[in-house]
Amino acid sequence: VKLGINMDGVLEASLYTIKAILILDNDGERLVAKYYDDTYPTLREQKLFEKNVFNKTHKSDSEIALLEGQTVVYKGNVDLFFYVIGSSQENELMLMSVLTCLYDSVNLLLRKNVEKRILLRHIDSVFLIVDEIVDGGVIMQVDASQVLDQIVMRGEDIPLTEQTITQVLQSAKDQIKWSLLK
Amino acid sequence: GNNPYAYIERNVVLQEARIFQQTPINPRKCGEILTKIIYLINQGEIISTNEATETFFAMTKLFQSNDVILRRMCYLTIKEMAKMTENAFIVTQSLTKDMNGREDIFRAAAVRALCAITDHSTLQGIERYMKQAIVDKVHSVSSAALVSSLHLTKQAFDVVKRWVNEVQESCSNDSIMVQYHALGLLYHLRKKDRLATSKMVTKFMKSGMKSPFAYCMLIRIASKLLEEDDSGRDSPLFNFIESCLRNKHELVIYEAASAIVNMPNCSARELAPAVSGWSYELGAI
Repeated sequence: VKLGINMDGVLEASLYTIKAILILDNDGERLVAKYYDDTYPTLREQKLFEKNVFNKTHKSDSEIALLEGQTVVYKGNVDLFFYVIGSSQENELMLMSVLTCLYDSVNLLLRKNVEKRILLRHIDSVFLIVDEIVDGGVIMQVDASQVLDQIVMRGEDIPLTEQTITQVLQSAKDQIKWSLLK
Repeated sequence: GNNPYAYIERNVVLQEARIFQQTPINPRKCGEILTKIIYLINQGEIISTNEATETFFAMTKLFQSNDVILRRMCYLTIKEMAKMTENAFIVTQSLTKDMNGREDIFRAAAVRALCAITDHSTLQGIERYMKQAIVDKVHSVSSAALVSSLHLTKQAFDVVKRWVNEVQESCSNDSIMVQYHALGLLYHLRKKDRLATSKMVTKFMKSGMKSPFAYCMLIRIASKLLEEDDSGRDSPLFNFIESCLRNKHELVIYEAASAIVNMPNCSARELAPAVSGWSYELGAI
């Protein structure tokens, strides 16, 4: 949270608000990375930044960090970490709305199995999701259901063996409930 | 471990792209190859000019398939590779067709891909399609056109400036994102003209906008105008920003509070309502 007088003057009124989106695994390795400006122009600099971001955030409970002059909002789940990055002066709630959309879209896509193995199986749709949410640094969409409407998945149900026992029981319960209601 | 993409090799993948030329097209296999290419690029692999050109040529064949996922992956690959080759223009016709076609699910993505391969000289050729797309009834198409137009101002500001009437019309679109994009582009086109910017802000301040994102943009524009203006705290611009502390959207309250706190010469009197706005936000996070 940034209080205090801004020495750089007033924030530029621009649609370009997002500097980067990252999805890292629980070793801090890159699964998806889109950089929208040249704050980190080379691969080496990007990887250093990702390492720094990961080290600072993966054990932390909070949702926001400030490092290297960037605002980083993030969310972790199982073995994945999602990051949305903006400038130090950026509106954090705006960044959060992008993060929420990203996470919720992936959550919907993977039917709540937000974990590395399943994400990699559908990485093409994940690339499309990121593409729907931010274009060249401009926020396009913050509503996950609208994002998913634009993404079509091949008709491929998660095979039974891949669902957890809990999921199988839950879906059986749901089916029984519905048939009783009819 | 267990990352199926961890050990793919770029040379192998680029060779695999040769199957794009085979008929009948196998959408699933071709889609998988495009996914690998995008993954490699995402990991920082460098694709040479020749390799990119070859891939583009091969991709033109893929447009013969109507498979939706394959088409979307083509658009994505086109955008990723647009700057890697001088021959990206060869997909222009296919993309223009999709942009004006009947499959809504293609149109917005086609606009964005098309603009990624367009430069000053080729933009004039698609100008009328862009103007139509900016005011299109389908929100995703309108947004795609507006945001792509913004990107294009880097190299073709004079051309995009001719579309200002269409952009202005989109400011009253009922989609909250289209409003935001239209306002952002309109400001960008007008910002060198202080008077025009002032008039624009005053107009939207009075009429109000639906979109909380557009409000944030307005607050930033108003702050910028105030910075260059000495009328100070009596300015209607300041009153507008201050009134945004009472907006129903947290996003807007937060933006207004930030704007006030970051103003040079901010006194305690102005700070108090901003700080209570902030406390509300800090409590909410």
